[in-house]
Amino acid sequence: MSEKKLIIKTENLKKDYKEDGVVVHAIRGIDLTVEEGEFSAIVGPSGCGKTTLLNLISGLDTPDEGKVWLSGKLISDMSGKELSDFRRDNIGFIFQAYNLIPVLTVEENIEYIMLLQGVPKEERHKRVLEILDAVKLSGLENRRPTQLSGGQQQRVAIARAMVSNPKIILADEPTANLDSKTGSELLDMMAELNEKTGMTFLFSTHDKMVMERAKRVIVLKDGQIIDKSEIDIV
Amino acid sequence: MLFYLKLAWRNIFRNKRRTIISGLAIAIGLAALIYTDALYKGMEINIIDNITKSFIADGQIHRKGFREKQETELTINNLDKVVKKLENDPLVKRFSLRTYSFSMISSSNNVSSVMLIGVNPEKEKSISQIDDAIIKGDYFKEGKENQIIIGKKLAEILEVEIGDRIVVTVAQAHSSELSQELFRVGGIYYFNNPQLDKGMAFIKINKARKMLNIGNGAHEIAIKLIKGVDRKHIDNLSFWKKYSVDDNEALSWMGLFPQMKMVFEMTGLGTAIVGLILFAIVALVIVNSLFMSIYERMFEFGVLRAIGTRPFGAFKMIVLESGALGILSVSIGIVLGFLVTYIFSKIGIDYTGIEMMGVTIKNLIYPVLTVEQFVIYPIVVFLITLLIGIYPGIYAAKLKPAEALRKSL
Repeated sequence: MSEKKLIIKTENLKKDYKEDGVVVHAIRGIDLTVEEGEFSAIVGPSGCGKTTLLNLISGLDTPDEGKVWLSGKLISDMSGKELSDFRRDNIGFIFQAYNLIPVLTVEENIEYIMLLQGVPKEERHKRVLEILDAVKLSGLENRRPTQLSGGQQQRVAIARAMVSNPKIILADEPTANLDSKTGSELLDMMAELNEKTGMTFLFSTHDKMVMERAKRVIVLKDGQIIDKSEIDIV
Repeated sequence: MLFYLKLAWRNIFRNKRRTIISGLAIAIGLAALIYTDALYKGMEINIIDNITKSFIADGQIHRKGFREKQETELTINNLDKVVKKLENDPLVKRFSLRTYSFSMISSSNNVSSVMLIGVNPEKEKSISQIDDAIIKGDYFKEGKENQIIIGKKLAEILEVEIGDRIVVTVAQAHSSELSQELFRVGGIYYFNNPQLDKGMAFIKINKARKMLNIGNGAHEIAIKLIKGVDRKHIDNLSFWKKYSVDDNEALSWMGLFPQMKMVFEMTGLGTAIVGLILFAIVALVIVNSLFMSIYERMFEFGVLRAIGTRPFGAFKMIVLESGALGILSVSIGIVLGFLVTYIFSKIGIDYTGIEMMGVTIKNLIYPVLTVEQFVIYPIVVFLITLLIGIYPGIYAAKLKPAEALRKSL
């Protein structure tokens, strides 16, 4: 049996915030590993540190202590520019809302990352059409985000996250603003893409639907990963 | 870059009302700068015209020291040679000889001291246009040697009218002996300048020469140069040096009226002040507009940074938005500035009667449109908008993605 490679590894990750002069220990020493091709979810109640952990893993935020390796690279020591380039080439992001630039068309939104990567125009256009087909939005490339439904906008966000073939997709509450039917369809689609492409998906969520589909659930409470036996309590 | 330009252009129209208000503020500022500059240029032309089409002419030649001492003996050296040189000079359109002397002028009712000026009526007519200022009587009738032309104010002081007798007393050159002549008032002029209307009187030059005992001499030659000479920078001509020989001095109107240099420098300063105010407005408007735009789109910037936009990319976006706003504003400003200035350049602005540094504005002021107003000023305003965009641009570049994503949700 071939051993799967680690795509995420964190070591004693800690992050504190100051809110109204009070120090909040958002992440308290997290050691986490995620393998390539996983379809996992970080779950927990609001304020438990899910988004903060995702931000630290992606290099959107810097840890106060500890280290983060992504795809074998120590990203917690990278400079702002290095991190930007690393995120561009290795990570796809899906946020819960306002993912897209409203003044750009669907095609322009999706091709933006490829533009940053310097992909030629013809290639960009070809890949946009392919990915739109994959997320079942063919023919909508010239629409503006405001002309799409919430579900369609999230599909465009998925398309944008995947178009540059990143190693991992990080999705922060991707279904939070969607009705359950649309959310369910979207999750099915992401699961299918995970199966087809082998791309790693890591969610931060408290949506039951995500937990049901996730192959691994990482439970977070008060900034720490807790045992599965404690899930019910959470 | 093209993509960022497209993005910047679309972004400035996300909040149309704000863009229109900001754009109009900058546009009105630019239009005001164009108009002010055009007005000052028109005023300069008006002032120069007033001076050079008056008694001063484009310039004058005197014996060195005459202007300071006003001594009757100080007539122009080698006058015949100078006259011949002037007659053959291609820059000279016309010129007129004059004599000057302090005199006592008395009527049966009153007495006053005036500057008595001897002129060649025909030549003087085309230089200082005294004939145009005559409001009563005639401008030197032929054959009548003892005619005197006086100003309206002086006529009031002396209580004389056309045809009345006046006695003029002057001190002769060298001997300082008094010489008296009886004149009749032939004409009364009005320049709307108290100094000219009260303190001067004109007689024919030959009569003056006799009274002053200066032979065929003259104290002053007023010179009118040909059309096309840049009268604002007339001092730069070598002409004046050429005639400043034989202990004579030739000075342009600018040399005779040095305070005008200051007036023109002040008008330049005026334009600079308007420009500074405009640039301050532009700076505040753009900084305010861009920061509002950044705060409104904080999450969007977070997303853009998250998906791989470098800090410089965010900086570029904001600076280009500033530039896009600049282009829009400058375009409106050019049209607005042209329309307003063009209208006033046709109908003119009435400042007649107002005195500025001893020069009375006699004609309407017509703002002058120049290419530089529509090229240099808009370019400067546009570059300033770009420069001002740097500050909010740096702010956008320094945004931490996680903080930006947290701030607006």
